This record gives sequence, C-alpha cells and structure tokens, in this order.
Amino acid sequence: MDFDDTWHPATHPSGAVLPAVLALAETLPSRPSGLDLLLAFNIGIEVQGRLMRFSTEAYNIPERFHPPSVVGVMGSAAASAKLLGLSPTQCTHALAIAASSAGAPLANAATQTKPLHIGNAACRGLEAAQLAQIGLEGNPAILDCGFGVYYKDYSPSKFVDSSSSGFKWILEDQNVAVKSIPAHLGMHWVVDAALAARRKLEKTAANFDLCQIRHITLRVPPSKYINCPLPDTEHQARHSFQFNACSALLDNKVTVDSFSEAQLKRPALRELLSKVTLETPEDNHPSFDKMYCDIEIETHQGVVTAKCDTFYGHWRKPLSHKDLVDKFSVNASSVLSTEGVEGVIDVIDNIEKVGECSILNAYLTMTSTPHQQLYRKRNI
Amino acid sequence: MISTLQKTVKPLWAVRGLHKSAMEVLKHPAPEETVTSSFGKFISEIKPHHLSPKVLHRSKRMVLDSIGVGLIGSTTEVFELALQHCQHMYAPDDICSVYGRKDTKLSPTLAAFVNGVATHSMDFDDTWHPATHPSGAVLPAVLALSDMTPFNHKPNGLDFLLAFNVGIEIQGRLMRFSNEAHNIPKRFHPPSVVGTMGSAAACARFLSLDASQCSHALAIAASLSGAPMANAATQSKPLHIANASRLGLEAALLASRGLEASPLILDAVAGVSGFSAFYEDYVPQLLESPSDDGHVFLLEEQDMGFKRFPAHLGMHWVADAAASLHKLLVGVGTGTVSPANIKDIQLRVPKSKYINRPFPESEHEARHSFQFNACSALLDGEVTVQSFTPAAISRPELLALLSRVRLEHPDDNPANFNSMYGEVQVTLVGGDVLKARCDTFYGHWRNPLTNESLTKKFRNNAGVVLPSEKVELLIDVVEELDRIGDCGVLLLQLQ
Repeated sequence: MDFDDTWHPATHPSGAVLPAVLALAETLPSRPSGLDLLLAFNIGIEVQGRLMRFSTEAYNIPERFHPPSVVGVMGSAAASAKLLGLSPTQCTHALAIAASSAGAPLANAATQTKPLHIGNAACRGLEAAQLAQIGLEGNPAILDCGFGVYYKDYSPSKFVDSSSSGFKWILEDQNVAVKSIPAHLGMHWVVDAALAARRKLEKTAANFDLCQIRHITLRVPPSKYINCPLPDTEHQARHSFQFNACSALLDNKVTVDSFSEAQLKRPALRELLSKVTLETPEDNHPSFDKMYCDIEIETHQGVVTAKCDTFYGHWRKPLSHKDLVDKFSVNASSVLSTEGVEGVIDVIDNIEKVGECSILNAYLTMTSTPHQQLYRKRNI
Repeated sequence: MISTLQKTVKPLWAVRGLHKSAMEVLKHPAPEETVTSSFGKFISEIKPHHLSPKVLHRSKRMVLDSIGVGLIGSTTEVFELALQHCQHMYAPDDICSVYGRKDTKLSPTLAAFVNGVATHSMDFDDTWHPATHPSGAVLPAVLALSDMTPFNHKPNGLDFLLAFNVGIEIQGRLMRFSNEAHNIPKRFHPPSVVGTMGSAAACARFLSLDASQCSHALAIAASLSGAPMANAATQSKPLHIANASRLGLEAALLASRGLEASPLILDAVAGVSGFSAFYEDYVPQLLESPSDDGHVFLLEEQDMGFKRFPAHLGMHWVADAAASLHKLLVGVGTGTVSPANIKDIQLRVPKSKYINRPFPESEHEARHSFQFNACSALLDGEVTVQSFTPAAISRPELLALLSRVRLEHPDDNPANFNSMYGEVQVTLVGGDVLKARCDTFYGHWRNPLTNESLTKKFRNNAGVVLPSEKVELLIDVVEELDRIGDCGVLLLQLQ
C-alpha cells in the first residue's frame, strides 16, 4: 500500500530488513534476544544509508532503479548476516552475493508489482546470507567496483570502525519519514497543501461548493512516475500528485479508503481531476529533503493559494509518539486481536529488555476472529 | 503452491478453425501497439509450425549441449552447495528432476535454480552474439515446467522446443536494442539481464498465457534482472544463470495468477527507466507477430557458439592459437614443451579487464584468464576439463610460463565476440620467434562444431554421471525431440 517508511537519501529501509530478521529469528536455534533483533535491524538500515551516500544520484527522487531493490537487498543481507553470526569474510560475501540480486527498474513502481521489490529485497538478502553461511563466495571487492553499476556516479568510502569514537549511526542524525497516507511520499506535501487551501476556501466563502472551482494548479518537483493525470488503478492513484490533491479537496482527508476502485471512479473526482495542471518550477528540486508543494485554486470569487514545505510525518516534523502508535493500532487492528495489537506495542516499546524476541512473532499471529475481521477488512 | 499444472485452454481459433483475424477482432479491440505489447503478442501467438528446419536443428544441438554441460556441472562444488541450500529451504512440492542426481527432487523454481547452477558452473555452456549464454537461462525452467505438468498431459517434444526457442529468440531481440550489448560486457552480466526475460518468455509460452499475461511476465521478470559483472570470475557467477532461469519461471507463474506490472517495461519512457535501466543506449523496436508466412527466428541467421573446453569464450581464440604453436614446438624437439626454451610470450587480445588475469588463484579465475589458457594450451596442446583442477592450476611449468606472458591490446582487436582475434607470439631462448593467430576458433558460430564433435562433447560430459545406456538414449531422444509425443521421456533420462 506504499504506507511504509521513507528515508533520505530516498529508499524504504524497514520493509527490506524487518521481514528477513523476523523470519530468521523464528528459525534460529540460538533464540536471539530483543536487543539482538534490534541490533541486526539497525545494521540493515545503516548499511543502506551508507551505500546511498556513495552516489549523488541517490539523493534525488529516482529515475532508473527503484532504490529499495538496490540498497534494500544489501541491507537485508547485512542484517541477516549479523543475526546468523557470520564471520567478517562471510559477511562480505553475503553482500557480494546480494549485489547480484539487486536492481529493479523504476517502471514497475506505480504497478501491482512494486511491493515485490521490497519483498524480493528482504528474501534475496536473507538468501544471500544463508548462502554465504554455507560457504558460497562472491567478489570480495563488490562495493569497491561492482555495486557501482546501479549508479551514474559512484564513489565508495570505507566504513569507520564501530569501536572507535568516530562511529555514529546515520539514523542518529537523519530520521525517517512516517507516512499518514498510503501513497508515495511526494503525495504528502500535496495533500497538506490541498487541505490548507480547502480550509481557506471554507473560510472565505460562506457556502463553499467544490463546483465553484475553475482551475487547480499544482507546483511540484519534476518526476514522471508520480505525475499521473488520470489514474486507472489504485497503484497509479498512490503515485499521482493530481489524484491526491483532488481527493483531499473532495473529502477533506486522504485515508486508506481513498484508493479503492469505487473512490477512483467517482464522477466528482474525475471532474475535479480534469481541472488540474501541473507545473514544475525550477526551484522545486526532486529531492525529499528539498521539495515543496504549492497549490493554487481559482474559483469564481478569486484565487486561493497554500504551500507545504514540510508535511507532518516528515523527518523535519516527525509524528508524535501518540500519533505513531495510533497509526499502528488502526493498521494492526484490521487483522490482529486487541491482545495482539497491544502485545506488539508493548514488546517493541521494551524490546531491549526482551529475553527472547520470538515473543514478537507470537503476538503477530494473534489474528482476530473472521467475524471481527469482516467489519475491519479493507480492500487491498 | 502449484504442484501440478493445468494446461490452459487452447486458443479458440486453433480448436474451431475459425479465421484468426476474425477471432482477434472479437477478442480485443486493437490496442495501441507498444513494444511491450508486441512482445506479449508474439510470445502468445507463435506456433510450433513456425519453427523452420534450420532452427529445429540448431536448437536441438543447443538442448543436447546444455544438458551435457549441466550433467557434468552437477559434479562441481558450487552445485553441491546450491543443492544443499535448496534442500534446506524445504519447498513443499519437490517433483522436479535435478541433473545427475537420482532420487533427488526439488520444487520447480529450486530445480530450475540448481540446474542453472550446474549448467554454468564450469563456464562450459553455449554463447551467442550479441553476447550472452542463452540456453542455461531457459532450459532448466522449461524442464521444471515439464516436470510440473501432470503425467498424461505432458507437452509433446515440439511444444517443448517451441517454448525453448521463444526463450532464445526473446533474448536475442532484446540485446539488439542496445549497441552496448554487442560488445563484451562491462557493467551487467548479460545472462542476468536478458536471461531472466528469456526464461519468463519461454515459460509464458509453455503455459499458453494470453498476450497481456505474456507482457506482464516480461515486466515482472525485469524487476528480477540485473547482476553486476564484478561477480563474474567468482564462485557466484553460475548463480546468475541459475537465478535467471528460476526467476523467469517465477515471473511467468506470477503472471499466470494475474499479477500485473508495467505495460511499458520494454518501451523507452523518458524519466522512468524500464528495461532500459540496464543499458546506456537503448532503442527498442516492435516485434512482429508471426504471420501466415511464418517468422524468421534469429537463430536461423545467427548460429550459436559451443565451447570445446570449460572457460570464458574469449579463451578459445588464444587456446587455438597457442595449440598450433605447441604442435610446432613439439615437432621440433623432445615431444614436450619445456619452459626453459621459452623466453617470452606475447598475447594480442582485446581489452577486457575481467578476463585479464596474469596469475589466477582459483578455478573460476583460471577460466577467465587469457594468460592461463594460452599457457595451458602451449604446454599441453589443448585445454580440457582437467586443465582447471587445483593440481593443474598450480603446476610449476605452468607458473613458469605465466611469468613470461605480456598482454597487448591492438586497436584493431575489439572486445566483441564477432570481430575479435587472438594472437600468440612465442620468443624462444635461441632467438626464434613463432607466431600464430586465430580469427575463428573451432566451435565459434562461423566455424561450428560438427555433429560428431558436439556429440563427442556430450558423451564426455554426460558420461561422468550417467551410465552409457542413458547417455545414448538422451542423444537419440534429443535428436528426435520434435517428433516425440511426450517430452517426459527426456526428463526420465536426466538422473
């Protein structure tokens, strides 16, 4: 659903790593602790961040390869190697083997296949670590040369020794963005701006009606795969500046339910979509750290504008703990029982003190009854 | 997980004999033709009768050679490792055969994987122009699908061959979209780029998917393509072919279940890379659907290269040149070549970093070393399977020769399997200079192996793991493949 976290430089780091370490944790005879799991997870994130910093191309919204398919598999391999307790040489080979599974083209973003990029990253990274464990070898200099094929510019540098005072986790200085809407990150700016503009319209006009809107101009960064004037599928809708702006204007919110086929096909929405034009100002840089969204709405009465520089949930304006937990509860309750939902929240909150992290897996299997799920089920 | 396959209903027109174009109008309003949709259409519409006699003949040779190298490949360490890994993964439906291992079965995707590892494990498999190893990416997947089909519904040999040829054809078509593809690769290892696509195409054809599903199979496969060259000349290289086969199969199976991906994956779209992501220059073209007049497969016009010894294709030029020098040197003296007589060896070869290794340390590196293969051929008169054992690699005489080799990269020697040459010049201690040049080694597409040579290679390979009755039976079955009613006969002999 494109609901997972996003980082800078751009990738979706957790989805590529967490499934692999959770799976491994369930199978290891050594019964890792919560802290073991968290450490492995962080290694998976850190490696991704380090690799992206080898290329200036990585700092912008991608055009060629979908980043999770490039660095995600490497992160998964690193995290899995850690949890498996591999030697330094084996860890190197795990990365080398994983590199041969990297690289899916961006064209499959905005399609039903996009989620498989993260799935495969997690799976193939884990597999790479397992192969390294039984002795398979790849190119021990993979990051020095080979990995560069995924980038136009590539300039690797050594990892500072973790025991020395020079080491600092990237996550320390660069937080992730958490989405409130199951859509591409770029949509969040557009929705924030659209909601702000709608509030202004309601204030200025006594009986504001959407059909009073003559024209909508969106000023966004240039990026072809999120510029979709008339989306036909939910996947396209999640990657459409236009759709998200219009949904926000029409419904005064954008939620999980906004992307169903019925919602997509609404005549009122289609009509609003026909009034949208996109502009890509030169100062609107295609980077999640620098972009903004400007919306200009022309009505019979005049013009209303709004701008969003940093949406709520961005790393510059992180979700409060309460809102993060609320998002989790709403999502998890669609399939887990209350006990499961609360159990997971509790375990993760105290994970450093958990003796056996498999308790997390146990809570994850506490699904609610089919009867209860019927009322909560969403069309995915 | 699918453990048996229901063969999808044959297209209506074939059954009822209705006029094809009328059926098409009824089924689909004419869609806007994209490169991607043209490929999907081709795969779903090509028929066995489109295979010309020449293509049938050439592709059967490929099938035979591929099986043979796979069988001998099943004796390698990397194969053993891969097999252990797959058995550990406990996939539930282990119904597919594994090269050379009686009583061992794996699930379809894992069988494709290990058989792919076997095929490329010794770098002994076929090579095409533009450069890739086409059969190893396709055959294991098609064999696995055949194993999946229920006992009395197995396709006939001709359908099997058609699927195989579609897999080859698609690879050839895709490589022609890029000039970069015509040269020895530098960035991505070609089997990992086009091989996955070929496997997906072959499997889509085998499963009789419709045009749209065939397109989606290709698009899904694109997200599973692409491995860097850096892992060539390592133990991981065979996994490139293996994963191509396995993941292409997965892509087709996913497409058959309705998974969709980009409908423009093969087209060039500015600002969003599809399959073009793997190339620096990319100009795609529509693929014409087979008409009543037929379809000219690329294999008709561009034959396959088969290797005589298990090493990178580039090695064959210097080996042939060095072998002829060995003959001269042996004729002159004692019957063996002694390093003491040789002062200097100069090799004139194209420039390509990953096959320039002065002192290879592993069998994988040795298979990718101009220097090693030239010196082996100079010493022994030929390069064989045995030339790459640890003992052979560390022979003092060989090391002595290696230390006297210099490489030159003449401007007129391009890094291209269609145009390169290999020249070996030996300066003897006495001052004599001997030179030999090979423009086209025996086994290259311009100088193909005779059927006798190909069969001999197969016997040598297959004979390492199979009893001779099975070896001979396999030769016969592949020879008759287009006339066989049940391709299951082929599968029975592989273990």
